[in-house]
Amino acid sequence: MKSDVKPPRWARWLLTRLHPDDTLEEVEGDLDELYAHDYARGGKTQATLRYVLNVLSVLPPFVRRRKRKRDYYQQPSTLTLAMLRNYFKIVWRNLAKEKLYSLIKIGGLSTGVAACLLIALFVRQEVSYDQHYTAGDRIYRILEFSSFRGEVGSGVHFPAPLARTLQAEYPEFEQVGHYNAVEVFGAGSQEVRRSDALESTHDDGFVYASQELLSILQLPFLQGNPQQALTEPNTIVITKRKADTYFPGQNPIGKLLILNNDKQRQYRVSGVIEDFPVTSHFQYNFLMTLAGKEFGEGEQTNWRNSNYINYVRVRSGTDIGQLEHKLSGVVKKYFMPAASREGANHEEMAWLNSFRFKLQPVRAIYLNEDRVQDGLPHGDIRYIWLFGAIALFILLIASINFINLSTAKSANRAKEVGLRKVVGSLRRSLIGQFLTESLLFSSVSVVLGLLLANLLLPYFNGLVAKSLVFPWREWWLFPVLAIGTLLLGLLAGLYPAFYLSAFQPMQVLKGTVSRGSKHASTRSLLVVFQFTVSTVLIVGTFTIARQMHFILNKKLGFDKEQVLVLQGTHTLANQLTPFKNELLRLPDVKQASVSSFLPVEGTKRNNGGMWTQGMQDHEKVSSQHWNVDDAYVKTLGLKLVQGRNFSAQMLTDSQSVIINESLVKALHLRHPIGQRIFNWRGGWTVIGVVEDFHFNSLKEKIQPMGLFLGRSPNTILVKVATQDMAATLQSVTNVWKQFSPYQPIRYSFLDEQYASMYNDVQRTQRIFSSFAGLAILIACLGLFALSAFMAEQRSKEISIRKVLGASLNSILGLLAGNFIKLVLISFGIAAPIGWYLMSNWLNDFVYRIPLGWEIFLLAGLSTIGIALLTVSFQSIKAALMNPVKSLRSE
Amino acid sequence: MRRTYLGEFEEVVLLMVAILDGDAYGVTVSQAIEEHTGRVVAFGSVHNTLIRLEEKGFVKSELGGATAERGGRRKRLFHITALGSRALQEVQQLRQELWQLVPPGTLRLGGL
Repeated sequence: MKSDVKPPRWARWLLTRLHPDDTLEEVEGDLDELYAHDYARGGKTQATLRYVLNVLSVLPPFVRRRKRKRDYYQQPSTLTLAMLRNYFKIVWRNLAKEKLYSLIKIGGLSTGVAACLLIALFVRQEVSYDQHYTAGDRIYRILEFSSFRGEVGSGVHFPAPLARTLQAEYPEFEQVGHYNAVEVFGAGSQEVRRSDALESTHDDGFVYASQELLSILQLPFLQGNPQQALTEPNTIVITKRKADTYFPGQNPIGKLLILNNDKQRQYRVSGVIEDFPVTSHFQYNFLMTLAGKEFGEGEQTNWRNSNYINYVRVRSGTDIGQLEHKLSGVVKKYFMPAASREGANHEEMAWLNSFRFKLQPVRAIYLNEDRVQDGLPHGDIRYIWLFGAIALFILLIASINFINLSTAKSANRAKEVGLRKVVGSLRRSLIGQFLTESLLFSSVSVVLGLLLANLLLPYFNGLVAKSLVFPWREWWLFPVLAIGTLLLGLLAGLYPAFYLSAFQPMQVLKGTVSRGSKHASTRSLLVVFQFTVSTVLIVGTFTIARQMHFILNKKLGFDKEQVLVLQGTHTLANQLTPFKNELLRLPDVKQASVSSFLPVEGTKRNNGGMWTQGMQDHEKVSSQHWNVDDAYVKTLGLKLVQGRNFSAQMLTDSQSVIINESLVKALHLRHPIGQRIFNWRGGWTVIGVVEDFHFNSLKEKIQPMGLFLGRSPNTILVKVATQDMAATLQSVTNVWKQFSPYQPIRYSFLDEQYASMYNDVQRTQRIFSSFAGLAILIACLGLFALSAFMAEQRSKEISIRKVLGASLNSILGLLAGNFIKLVLISFGIAAPIGWYLMSNWLNDFVYRIPLGWEIFLLAGLSTIGIALLTVSFQSIKAALMNPVKSLRSE
Repeated sequence: MRRTYLGEFEEVVLLMVAILDGDAYGVTVSQAIEEHTGRVVAFGSVHNTLIRLEEKGFVKSELGGATAERGGRRKRLFHITALGSRALQEVQQLRQELWQLVPPGTLRLGGL
């Protein structure tokens, strides 16, 4: 071949690298020949082009491999019965020989598996909400997004006529329904009794729903006519559970329920529906009809009262984006004219004009990424990610133990590997052997993990406040578990399998293979990973615990201790004041106040503008208007910083107001006492200023508020001073019995209600601390075993050092020092990660702890302390041993 | 049906091996296909087909001598086996039988 007639070098390089070895020579020759031929016929460019194409056509995956000839001897398959039996035998012997290490491997893996399974159950339930509707992709809830003075808002509540209007004017909607869950109108909780019973019971889950809602949400009827259940006035649909409670063994249809002992509120049961599945965002027990209902005069035709949540089913093939856009028409046609008729100001019109409608798929309501306030319980997608990540990390930590221990103990297996290779085992079958081994371990761990998870499920349910169950009967459970086992086996076993099978028989048998110290850097890396995860979790636990402590001990501006909250007192009607007076006669009762506005979330709230003389509309301050009695300030221990409290003697106080400091600031009042301020009900004279108190969650800033003398009779606050709460409660109950013999007393404690506002925080704390504990436990197990191994490996070295006069401390430092270094490095990595995550979390709170260094110091110290304890046990044991013992063997 | 299926391209390659009679290897087979059928084929398909034919037992191969123009690399020479030649003959016979079954006039170009 002439020297200039040469194909491109890169193509040839590619060929030699990638073409199968056993046909490389002939193909290379053939291609050269073809190149020379093409060159002579068509010139260099064409020849090169053809050459490149030909090379590509003989590269994998296009090329066919010549089958290996089996001329010499038959290689048996890796998976023959005899070999498998042998593998099992070897696994069993190793297991029995290395009890501690095997225990740690399996214990760690099964704990990790259990954690994973539990979290998987949780995640599965969270993402399976509202998947049960057959027409789920056509069911939507209507949302509104708006902007006002640069503030973006959103809402689900709309006026009553909206549903009718949408149905009539937009053919895209197949059906429109709405419900009203406003407590003032009698939704929420009620005192219920059958018409033939005397005593009422307190029950909740009441809601006013339209007939259409039943079919939109596809509620399955057990009894009654689903087409007409709510079409008549005073009808009610109840769930199976409630039917069984109130009418056990009877047909509830046509029976009467009386609410709040009020003869005017009698409801005839017209339908019984299946209990709502746990995974439904819509959870009510009593659906009261909206037929013939008018909550206030003209409420049903009023476009200015937003009390209803709307659901729609659109026709198939509707373009949702377009429909959302079209809906702005309703604002122009109805909302704005109604507002301007009633003299709304320019600002409000601009706000209405900014309304943008959105149809939220029913399946997206529970996880609610739009963050709309709708009063329903919601899952949090962040928690799903967080839990998922934690589960994964715990499993990784456990797998790392497996990997580290397998490779650390490799010296013991090296001889076996060497011998197997010498008698003709291929690397392939050795890898097969080690993978079989790890698969065996993972199977045992999955079975144990399953048992453990089942055992821990009640505790876990308490932790996440759910009632999860194992889906034992689902067909996919065992296949999924089998695949999981396989993956876990591969995850934990692949690296050790390749590592162990790579030993060269010559070196092993000659005894020159290093004893497990090779790949120590990989092991160190993995240990660092384990402790990084553990430390992040511990930082999280400490931060959340600190914030929770801060929440529970913060000076709130009111006194929440020893305050009894009596609920449902409006049923006393005109007996309310005599009852309160009777209570005050009890020796332990210090104060009592009638008001449903309590300084804890979930109690009565309102909101409206407040202003001073001459203020412009846009300067009005959005503020709370609370109806309280004259004892409110004293009962809650609010601090008056200026002026005086209401007085029952001064009749003018019905025109007076006590305001908080935030309102003073917001209205720019220099000398608030005696000033006139206004709200929609008229003008008021300021007689006192109370110090700001936290009446909402610490996640929110304190809002301006005014206290007015007025009626709000659902709750009585009772301030007691007693050592014996049980006796006091008994005497309060006795008084209640005199006044209301047929109504069971309902009470709670203010401090408990306050703490329950932060249930989610507490839950997060418990979850974090449980998993942090688990993570560090598993990581330490690994560390324990590794240090035991290291001590064992270096026992001769230690003995010699001791004989030569090394001190106990220097030997300890030698053994533990390395591990402590690793833990320190992981702390260095974990600190910024933890800081980032926790400052994100704290951002949810307006009132919060600073994320100080002491949290990190504490987390670091405890991690290092635990690690040190773990390591030192083995190290001390090694350092204290008698050098003669280990040296005599040689 | 025959026991072993012979694809169309395989048939062409096998025929070329028969035609080349002892001088068949990657290059000559590719060139013969181009020359006799006008088809320009990627070398890979010839190479793969030869290996497949060998797996099916229609050809046998051995490494031949090296020549200078190949940079000292040996070539793999292919011979047709008895099984291969019978397969070819069966294909031809089947074709002939089928041709005889076609009614006269069916394949005449219509009207032109």
